[in-house]
Amino acid sequence: MSGAGGTGKGAAAALMAPALVVVAVVFLAPLVRLFAMSFEAKAGPLAAYLEVLGDPIYRHVFVNTFVVSATVTAVAIAIAYPTAFALTRIGPAWRTLLFACVLFPLWISVLVRTFSWMLLLERNGPINRVLVGSGLIDQPLSLLFNRTGVLIGMVQVLLPYAVLPIYAAVLRIDPALIRASEGLGASRLRTFLSVLLPLSMRGVATAATFVFLLALGFFITPALLGGPASMTLSMLIDSLVNERLDWPLAAAASMVLMVAALIVVGLAGRFVSVRAIAEAHR
Amino acid sequence: MSGRVWLYGFVALTAAYLVLPIMAVVPAAFSAQSFIKLPPEAWSLRWWTAFAADASWRRTLVTSLQVAALTTVVAAVAGTAAALGIDRCGPRLKLLFGALFLGPVVTPVIVIAVALYAMARAAGLVGTLTALVLAHTMLALPYVVLNVGVSLGGLDRRLLQAAAGLGAGPWRIFRTVTLPLIAPGVIGGAVFAFVTSFDEVVLSIFLSGPTVKTLPVRIWEEIRVEYTPLVAVAATIMLTLALLAALVSRLMTRRAAA
Repeated sequence: MSGAGGTGKGAAAALMAPALVVVAVVFLAPLVRLFAMSFEAKAGPLAAYLEVLGDPIYRHVFVNTFVVSATVTAVAIAIAYPTAFALTRIGPAWRTLLFACVLFPLWISVLVRTFSWMLLLERNGPINRVLVGSGLIDQPLSLLFNRTGVLIGMVQVLLPYAVLPIYAAVLRIDPALIRASEGLGASRLRTFLSVLLPLSMRGVATAATFVFLLALGFFITPALLGGPASMTLSMLIDSLVNERLDWPLAAAASMVLMVAALIVVGLAGRFVSVRAIAEAHR
Repeated sequence: MSGRVWLYGFVALTAAYLVLPIMAVVPAAFSAQSFIKLPPEAWSLRWWTAFAADASWRRTLVTSLQVAALTTVVAAVAGTAAALGIDRCGPRLKLLFGALFLGPVVTPVIVIAVALYAMARAAGLVGTLTALVLAHTMLALPYVVLNVGVSLGGLDRRLLQAAAGLGAGPWRIFRTVTLPLIAPGVIGGAVFAFVTSFDEVVLSIFLSGPTVKTLPVRIWEEIRVEYTPLVAVAATIMLTLALLAALVSRLMTRRAAA
């Protein structure tokens, strides 16, 4: 008896049964069905995969998805690292406030946040009006319905997922090491490069994995802030189902996206715990 | 010293970037104009009145609340039971079930949405409350299992042994000892479940129908075509409910820590 009292394996199975049924019926079974559908193209079992992977238009979508995800990850880490570092250095009152600023967005729907960005980034929106009004630019910038808009919105939505694991990693570093490094005459940059950065690398890796993984499958933000030229894989899957009604093709594209996500998790699993990823997620 | 100033300036900017854009919909909802301009030139409550008067918008709000309430109950009960079950397993099974419940978290949501849509269409369940509640429950379960699992980890097993020694049966022990002690985890998980369901868009876009449609789906449909400050009202309602939930959750963790 290893658990919270009770009568062994039968009780454990009975307790897990309802949740397992939900996961089996609503998650596993539909995925298996979709997998089967990906081989049901009229032109032959592998035709959908050949089309999805071979067509230059679809290849453009893959490349765009990858470039957007990688850029979002890089920018998010670049902003998150100093933020996480500052979190460990500032006074308790400011830390509470800054923490609230990092955690607060996680409670707000991605749809609402993306809608806000639509209002802000518009041609005549407040950001363009301020920029033109201050004389910084002559013409309003086109910040919406292109990759710029997608990046601005996605980095903001995914930034908290980058800050939290890095903060946890920096927090675990023994401050004595930093004092020792500085006491031995290392410059701040040197201390950062040879002490802080290597010791916080696991946190950075977890953050990068999680942001990249979420970015790969992001739908709402790229669909609303992006344009036709910045189509991502999830937008493609949506249009294959809802506009072209091509189920085998949509299923094959879904499987490709899922395999990509699994590869990311698999590669990352060597050095970060997938559980830590899920725990950072709220 | 100047390094510190830079760091603080950078952090202030980051905080502003994270938080301020979220608030942009709120002033838009109090506009007196018939289009969205930020900040509005004149303020009024006309769009709130319009929202209240519009039966179709009201219905989406009611549907959202219904789905979220049902999801919360199902996910909290099934998730708590599952966490208790996992707690009784050996280390290897613990890992296996943990991974299984994490599946929906790491799978791209569009893939789950398309897969569910195919299945629900075949079963004639598209546009039903059942499909939405089941789908939202699947997404919310991992959070309940995780939250309750954390609470169970901190549980003093001697209390359970004491209760058993005094002759209490398993159900009685659960009701009078385990449940009160893990209540913060259960409530925390339930709040997550509610917010997850209330905010969920992608699965709902695929599973909603003309009569059963959640608030986020209606917002999504409107902002893809042409929107009025009415959408900002709907978004502000979503924002307010999420804030309330965050507050409840914060109070719960405070109490758990105290």
